[in-house]
Amino acid sequence: MEIFQYTFMIKAFLAGTMIAAIASSLGMFVVVKRFSMLSDALAHISLLGVAIGFLTALSPSYSSLVFTLTASWVIEYLRQHNKLYSDSILSIFLSGSLALAIIIVSASSSFNTSLFDYLFGSIVAIDDDDIVIITLLGLICAATLYVNFQRFLYIAFDEESAKASGINTTLLNYLLISLVSVVISVSIKIVGALLIGAMMVIPAIIAMQFSKNFRSSVVYAIFIAMVSVIGGLFISYYASLPSGATIVVLLLCFFILSLLFKPKRY
Amino acid sequence: MLKNFKDTVIEIKNLNFKTIIHDVSLEIRRGDYAAIIGPNGGGKSTLVKLILGLMPHDSGMIKLFGQTPSLSSLKKIGYVSQGISKLDENFPISVQEVIHLGLIANKPLFSRISKKDLEMIDHVLIKMNIEDLKDAKISELSGGQRQRVMIAKALVNEPQILILDEPNTGVDKQSQINFYALLKSLNEKENITILFVTHDLGVIVDDINKVLCINQTLLACHDPRQIYHSEQLNELYGVDAHMVCHHH
Repeated sequence: MEIFQYTFMIKAFLAGTMIAAIASSLGMFVVVKRFSMLSDALAHISLLGVAIGFLTALSPSYSSLVFTLTASWVIEYLRQHNKLYSDSILSIFLSGSLALAIIIVSASSSFNTSLFDYLFGSIVAIDDDDIVIITLLGLICAATLYVNFQRFLYIAFDEESAKASGINTTLLNYLLISLVSVVISVSIKIVGALLIGAMMVIPAIIAMQFSKNFRSSVVYAIFIAMVSVIGGLFISYYASLPSGATIVVLLLCFFILSLLFKPKRY
Repeated sequence: MLKNFKDTVIEIKNLNFKTIIHDVSLEIRRGDYAAIIGPNGGGKSTLVKLILGLMPHDSGMIKLFGQTPSLSSLKKIGYVSQGISKLDENFPISVQEVIHLGLIANKPLFSRISKKDLEMIDHVLIKMNIEDLKDAKISELSGGQRQRVMIAKALVNEPQILILDEPNTGVDKQSQINFYALLKSLNEKENITILFVTHDLGVIVDDINKVLCINQTLLACHDPRQIYHSEQLNELYGVDAHMVCHHH
């Protein structure tokens, strides 16, 4: 096929499907914890990290990672200590980081175009280093989820009982949010800060409607996310559409179909 | 008579927590079937959370099985939180998965679900008479069925104490009666010590052997039949209260 004659498209399929698998599996836990806005808030914080990276001539990838991780720990601290409502915390971080990013961008017009790539994602921007980083990240996420799957599930289902049984819920909550923040800061270059949230949340919401247990929900979510990425890349290539947006629109179509065909409760 | 400390499974002395719990001292002995009653905001659930180590107390002492609370003592306690009534209808989790959660804390980090785990889950499903619901989604169950699943989760680890925090919220009357019959059976036949927070003492006054009246402080700790016409009920609820019993 013509699409596979281009190295950048092969890299896009590789990176895209790996991100889809990682983001959607973590997204299941984020959604059932009713923390769906987390991915959007962290994506905007990641964007601020990128802007500061450009401004200070540091590596945008590293500054984004440091900013997102630090902010995620502050968010989790505030959530655990009931300092503020969870959705209010996320809203403040989301709008605050975006505002700061806009000020930094307006102060220096030299990197407007580069930042635009991080906002909407750029498939052609994927290089070999990105593939290596995403592969490593995928392995770390898979290993962490394999080891802690049941503990994460227990905390999501009934955090109080999990804590009462002796599980270190504080540590595991920090571990989960750290994974989410690393995945987001690595993914925004490819998927885009405005779109990574959809990749994390929509497959989980679709999967939840069709499965009776959590394990199969995770499998369905990964499958839906990967199909959307593969389908979205094909459509975007042949219809000359932006890839990130096409993937999210395809996810939205699947979501609407899931509403129409979801099993009825009696 | 000398006190037999081996028989005391929960011992609390001069416990204080903010303005919610003031100078509470009590003992729960092995085999007790005890109810905690009191007005809303009186500190019933807070006391349970302090016993379970979910919140650190300001002063006083809590001992579980004669020792300072530790991971090993917590693992001998099964806990059913108020969560039954707050269950997320969209949470995609099966009955078997919920019950398996009760085994997680005792498992090594890298262990997977074993054949023995599945046997323990099957055993508790039969004991709770919900074996046909094994693969059902928890949100599709009735209030009474969910209640049994949550107790099965707490029991799968074979605890010595079962602590329940208002387990009957949002459950119909018949399910409540069945539920109390189940608790009585667990207490009498399996010798599980039971401590639970409730508002409907009248239903079970014939079954329990100890009632703890909490309104910031412990107002009484005695045989439930003694508070049929007790003035302590009036003091507890701040109104002219008396007990209406539903014998079953």
